[in-house]
Amino acid sequence: MKRRDFLKLGLTSLVASQFPRTLFGQTAPPAVAVSEGTDYAAVTRKTIGALGGMKAFVKPGSTVVVKPNIGWDRKPEYAANTHPLVVKTIVEECLASGAKKVKVFDNTCNDARRCYENSGIQGALRGMKNVDVRFVENDRFRKTALNGRFLKEWPLYDDALNADVFINVPIAKHHGLTGLTLGLKNMMGIMGDNRGYIHRSIEDALCDINSLVRSHLVIIDATRILTDHGPQGGNLKDVKVLNKVIASRDIVAADAYATTLFGMKPQDISTTVAAYKRGLGEMDVKKMKVLSFRF
Amino acid sequence: MKLTLPRISQFLFLALFLFLFIITDYRGKDEITVAVNSFFRANPLVLVSYVFAVKGFTLLLLPALLMTIFTVVLGRFFCGWICPLGTLIDLVTRRIPKSAPIRFLKGSFKYYLLFTLLAMGLFSVNLSGIFDPIAILIRALTFFFYPLLGYVGRAGWSGLYQIAGEGRDHVGFLYYFLRDYVLPFRETFYPLAFFSLAVFLFIFILERFERRNWCRNVCPLGTLLGLLGRFSLFRRVPGRICKDCGDCRSHCPTAFDEEILQADNCIRCMQCRTRCRFNRVTFPLRWKKPFLPVTKEPRQPVMSKRMFLGSVVSGFFLSRAFSFRHPEKDNRLLRPPGVKNETDFLKKCVRCGECMKVCLRSALYPDLARAGVTGMFMPVIIPRLGYCEYNCTLCGQVCPTGAIPRLPLEEKQKSIIGTAVIDKNICLPYAKKLNCIVCEEHCPISSKAIRFETVEDIDHQGRKVSLKQPYIVDDLCNGCGICENKCPLEGRSAVEVFARKKG
Repeated sequence: MKRRDFLKLGLTSLVASQFPRTLFGQTAPPAVAVSEGTDYAAVTRKTIGALGGMKAFVKPGSTVVVKPNIGWDRKPEYAANTHPLVVKTIVEECLASGAKKVKVFDNTCNDARRCYENSGIQGALRGMKNVDVRFVENDRFRKTALNGRFLKEWPLYDDALNADVFINVPIAKHHGLTGLTLGLKNMMGIMGDNRGYIHRSIEDALCDINSLVRSHLVIIDATRILTDHGPQGGNLKDVKVLNKVIASRDIVAADAYATTLFGMKPQDISTTVAAYKRGLGEMDVKKMKVLSFRF
Repeated sequence: MKLTLPRISQFLFLALFLFLFIITDYRGKDEITVAVNSFFRANPLVLVSYVFAVKGFTLLLLPALLMTIFTVVLGRFFCGWICPLGTLIDLVTRRIPKSAPIRFLKGSFKYYLLFTLLAMGLFSVNLSGIFDPIAILIRALTFFFYPLLGYVGRAGWSGLYQIAGEGRDHVGFLYYFLRDYVLPFRETFYPLAFFSLAVFLFIFILERFERRNWCRNVCPLGTLLGLLGRFSLFRRVPGRICKDCGDCRSHCPTAFDEEILQADNCIRCMQCRTRCRFNRVTFPLRWKKPFLPVTKEPRQPVMSKRMFLGSVVSGFFLSRAFSFRHPEKDNRLLRPPGVKNETDFLKKCVRCGECMKVCLRSALYPDLARAGVTGMFMPVIIPRLGYCEYNCTLCGQVCPTGAIPRLPLEEKQKSIIGTAVIDKNICLPYAKKLNCIVCEEHCPISSKAIRFETVEDIDHQGRKVSLKQPYIVDDLCNGCGICENKCPLEGRSAVEVFARKKG
């Protein structure tokens, strides 16, 4: 950064700080992009493009974490894990935007080797340069102060803490406790230790985590969704193919919009409501700028 | 050590054994094509004890039948050419100073041991695996050395970071190779690790008395092979120590405790032939009396009626002496998937530890006391440490005798290990009026064997809560134990799997 640029930025920031916060972004309706189509790579690309393209998020030389859901030992068609093509396209876009390194991982529920393999994600990313698809290593969780309502501190994965850009890529699924599992809940994949503990106050706990580790971009895979017996599934009868991908900078907005795909209201999902109340984003679909594409 | 043909064979088989041991693991494929179980499937002791105990045969053990035939033709060559434990002994024995042989072991001890074991098998208690040399070796590797290797690798790698910082990345490729192909995936510690190690080391302590002490005086596999080798077509000539030389006494690792060759102990290692100064030693074909046992020579331990009867009687007594089983422990006797009948399992299990080595989630552990002494080293699932992965069938694939049956995936998923039971006294929605449902979340059955009722209630702070209270659908639960494993309560799980009597 040149001295002139530095001074410019400093001055504008100072001036900006004097304006009411609402002027910058806060009340501007959050954009939610939705694309539909059977070519999942193209759909994903289109969705990201609608938000200004990956270059709006990933600056050259940055380290990016792409955090899909790889939690379960299930094949892609069972809609328990994020679709490998969606993940692959996002990683490609990151690299094309000049990312130095893209890290893809999840703290899995089933055996990590089987999850990485059978989700198809490890295979889809095999051989790509500057892409790390590694299993989570226990000694790399850092005890992190959250000072939240429920969680005071928790071990979080260092890759997630150190990332320049965090891209949250959940799959839209049914979940027994929270109704649905979407972007907010996908963040459990960066938690270590006995994370089932947070189920006893999951709304507050997820807000605590999401307040500390912000998702710069949330891309929800709704190419196929799991409508019942989630989050594991296992029966194709519970899977509905929607061919949709949703993206937003606003995690609550993305979750809220995805909720409507299940024929549910965002108010029905307690985690979404809690996150809205804590100021993590917008949950009213009417107040969003929805950009739809279909091809 | 001169590199003779038998030596080369020994090293190759040791390398093969270690290679097979390492690849007996999940490597991204649902099927394991070759595994270290080959060493058991070609093991005549496993075969004979299986046949005695089960009173039947399994095609899995066909290689052992072939090995038996080879031994009858060639003699006890396994011990001098193949046995990885024997090779390890040969590698270190020269560094161990010897005192005098133990006289107690010099009589018919090994025959008593072998026949008692087989007699116990006849009465449906198959303990031969406890003494099988290959099983001893694999148990020591699986329960002690392999976890140790994993620890050394990982701790060394993170220690290197303390010393060299980012500089360690220069040797990163080496570590990543080790991590991906050699080291255990998960850090697992096993009960009986120390005991398995002690048994293994005991064999080397025996080397303080004489060379290949275990092999010539104890090993039941070697003893069996020696008995079979009596019929061998080949026989060492001359049959005794030459008066003018006597070097064979020091060359021979097993068979020349006396002036006369102990035919049962000749392991065909060819040391005497290679090193004879006069080129006298040969192993000619016995054209005249092929397949006739050579037992008439004096001072050779002979199979007598007395020994035979004695073994059967002691085998019978011993087989009944450890029958006590604690019913409460039986409750938690969770056997690997597909094992239907405990009595049958006891007859077939070799206690080789391979299922525990291969188990993806480190769910299987060697048992010490749940099933009494007769169940020692046999696998049990400890769900709090690891659960049975729903889509995995590896243990059934590596079991050398089919004690854990090799099942197609759908069948394995339906085979019942036990049934989960919820303890409402500690389960959060019941006991603390807090939501949880981690068990339901993880239940792999697609229609959920754990379900919940939603109940409106007032919690202990007087607030209205909507509680999700879990319950088990017994008919769907296969006892995989993931619920017990993942239950977020500290210490004891609020949902536990209990063995279920199968009707």
